[in-house]
Amino acid sequence: MTATPVSPTTPTSESTPTSESTPLVEVSNLVKHFAVREVQGLTMTRNTVKAVDNVSFSLAEGETLGLVGESGCGKSTVSRCITRLEMPTSGAIRYKGKDIARLPERQLRPLRREIQMIFQDPYSSLNPRQTVGAILTTPLRVHNLAKGREKARAQELLELVGLNPEHINRYPSEFSGGQRQRIGIARALAVEPKLIIADEPVSALDVSVQAQVMNLLSRLREELGLSFIFIAHDLGVIRHFCDRVAVMYLGKVVELGSKAHIYGEPQHPYTQALLSAAPDINVVRGIPPKERIRLVGDPPSPIDPPSGCRFRTRCWKAQEICATQEPPLEDKLGGGDDDIPETGDEHVIACHFPEIKSTLVAEVAR
Amino acid sequence: MSAQPVPPVPSSAVPQNAVAAAPERNVVDQAPKGEVVLKITDLCVRFPSDEGPVNAVQDLTYEARLGRTLAIVGESGSGKSVSSMAVLGLHNPKRSSITGSILLDGTEIVGADEATLRKLRSNTAAMIFQDPLSALHPFYKVGNQIAEAYLAHNSVSKDVARKRAVEMLELVGIPNPQRRAKQFPHEFSGGMRQRAMIALGLVNNPKLLIADEPTTALDVTVQAQILDLVKSLQREFGSAVILITHDLGVVAEVSDDILVMYAGRAVERGLAKDVLARPQHPYTHALLQSLPSASEDSDQLQTIKGTPPSLVNLPSGCSFHPRCTARDRVPGDACATVLPDLRVSSPGRQIRCHLANPEQVLAQEGAS
Repeated sequence: MTATPVSPTTPTSESTPTSESTPLVEVSNLVKHFAVREVQGLTMTRNTVKAVDNVSFSLAEGETLGLVGESGCGKSTVSRCITRLEMPTSGAIRYKGKDIARLPERQLRPLRREIQMIFQDPYSSLNPRQTVGAILTTPLRVHNLAKGREKARAQELLELVGLNPEHINRYPSEFSGGQRQRIGIARALAVEPKLIIADEPVSALDVSVQAQVMNLLSRLREELGLSFIFIAHDLGVIRHFCDRVAVMYLGKVVELGSKAHIYGEPQHPYTQALLSAAPDINVVRGIPPKERIRLVGDPPSPIDPPSGCRFRTRCWKAQEICATQEPPLEDKLGGGDDDIPETGDEHVIACHFPEIKSTLVAEVAR
Repeated sequence: MSAQPVPPVPSSAVPQNAVAAAPERNVVDQAPKGEVVLKITDLCVRFPSDEGPVNAVQDLTYEARLGRTLAIVGESGSGKSVSSMAVLGLHNPKRSSITGSILLDGTEIVGADEATLRKLRSNTAAMIFQDPLSALHPFYKVGNQIAEAYLAHNSVSKDVARKRAVEMLELVGIPNPQRRAKQFPHEFSGGMRQRAMIALGLVNNPKLLIADEPTTALDVTVQAQILDLVKSLQREFGSAVILITHDLGVVAEVSDDILVMYAGRAVERGLAKDVLARPQHPYTHALLQSLPSASEDSDQLQTIKGTPPSLVNLPSGCSFHPRCTARDRVPGDACATVLPDLRVSSPGRQIRCHLANPEQVLAQEGAS
C-alpha cells in the first residue's frame, strides 16, 4: 500500500489538496478493539475482541470496493469506523486526504453529509412512527438543504428510487421489504453523498426483489457518480456490483484485488474455500466446478485469535511457519497473475503459501 | 375434500407398498424409487385475519420418499413452511382451517388428535428449524434435551438415553461429545448448535426429516459442512428429507426432487437437476435469471417486476400473471381469468402454467 503517513494528531490543520491521485478514502492500519467482560460464577475476566486488526485499503473516486467474509470477520466494524459510528482504536481513515479517525463530533457534521450508509434490515432501520416524508426530510433539515422545498425534494427522491411520490404520507409498515429498502436508499441519497457504505443491502430481501434493488443501486451509482463500499457475504452479488474485492477473515484482510483477480485467480486458501463453499448459479444450472474445498470447524473466536496466520487452524496448507509468523499482506511476485504493482491494480495476499486455483467456480465459456 | 381421520396403525402393520400403490393424481412419470413416507393430497391451509382469510397453502399435492431429498423452494409467504408445519400438526386447530389429506407413514394427520400426533412427532417425522438458538431450550443441557426426546418414545432408563444422546452428538460430528452433552446451547457455536439440532431430530431415527431453512443463519463455509452432514446421514439412515429453502444453490447441492411454490401453490415440480437446468415455469425461469453469478460477469440483472401478491386477495387466474413476462404468449386472457392446473408438461415434470411449449418460449425470453 502506498500510504503516506500523516500525523493523526494534526489532521484538521492539514488541508491536503484533493489531487487526482488522492484516493477518496484511504484506510491505513485500522484497529478496532472492543472491551468485553465475561462473568463466570464469581470471577470476571476482561477481554478484548479484536474485531478489526490492522486493516488497510483505499478506494478511488467512483470506485466500488466489496468487503466479503463470514460473520464476525470485522467487515461491518470497518464500515462503522469509516462512517465514524465507531471510534477506531488506532489507525487512520483519510477521507479526501483528511484524517477523520479522531475528529470530534462537531467537525464530523459536514462529513456525515458526504458519507452515508444503507443498512441491512429495512424493517428495523426505518422509524415505524415516522411517515416516509418525515424520514426523508429529517436529513435535509439537519443539513439545511433544500430550504423551503423539503417536501418537493422528498418526492423527487422517492421518484429517483422508483417509488410513487404520492406515497409520501405513508408509514414504513405500508410498504413491502423491497420498497422499504428503497426508502432507506432514498434517505441515504437525500443529502447528496459522495460515498455510500452499503452493509448487506440486499441480503434480507427475497430473491426476486433482490435483483430489482441491485439494479437500482447500479443505476444510481452511474447517474450520481457515487463511490461505494459494499459489504455482502454473497459472492455472486459482490462480483456483480464491485470493481475490487477485499476478503476478510477474523479482523484481517487476507486477499485484496480486482474482481478478475479474486474470482479468476484466487490465491489465498480462505478465498478459495469461500468461492468453493458458496453454490453458484452455474453450479445450479448443472455446470459443476472442477474442484471442491471443504473447511473443517468454525471460525475461531476473535477474543483469542490463533497466533501467526489467523486462518491456519482451518487451513489445509498450514505448516509450522504459519503458527509463528504472520504473513504480511503483499503482492506475491511470480504468482502468475498479470497485475502491475503500485498502480492500484495490485493483487495482494496474506499467505505464506499462495497458489492460484482457478478451478473452483463453474467453468463457463467466457 | 373432507379430512377423514384414519386410526393410527403401527407402521409395521401396514403393507409397505399400500401407500405407494394408492391411485396417484398428477402422476409424475419416471417416478423415483423409494417407499412413500409422506403423501400430501389437495392440502389447503387457511388462517383467519382481520382482512379476511389468508390462503397460505392451496391445492398442494406431493410426496416424499425414503432415501430422497425433496426441496421446497419459494419466497417468503409462498407457503413452504406452513405446509411442512402442517405435516407435524403444528398449526393450532382453533386458529387455522386445514383441508385435504396428509398421510404420514399411513396415518392421517389432518384432524388427528394430539395423542396421535405426539406418537408421530420425532418418532416418524422430525423437524429442524432455522434458528437453533431459539429452537433449543436455553436452560437445559444439550445432552438432556436429546435424551428427553429419546425417553419420550422409548421405555429405557435415563442412563441409556443419556448414552444415546452422546452417541448422537458424536454421529453429527461434534468433537468431545461426552463433555459437549453437559453444556448449554449458548456454549455452542452456530454450526455446532445446528449439528445438535440435527442430532435431536434424528435421535428416534425418523423416517422423515423436515429441515426448515437449516443453513440460512450459518456462514457459507459452515453451511457447506452442514449440507454435507445432512447428505451423509441420509445415506446412512435412508430417511426421506424435506428441505425448505429459498436458496437455489442449496437445492442444487443436495436435492433429488424439487417443488417450487408461489403464493401458496405449487408451480413447478420435477427432478431438481432438470428443473434447475431447464425450468419450464416462467417464475422458476425468472428466479434463476435474477441470481447474480460468482463465475460470470454480468451487466444488468434480470428482474421480476412487482412484488409477491397478498395471500388475502390473490390475483385472479394464475397468481403469477401480473409479474409474468410470458403471459402475452398465451392466446386470449386465460392467464388473468383461468387458474391453470398443475399438469404434466414433459416426462417427470409438472407445471402450473397455460404455456403450451414453455421451454421454447422461455429459451427465447432468456435470449432476448
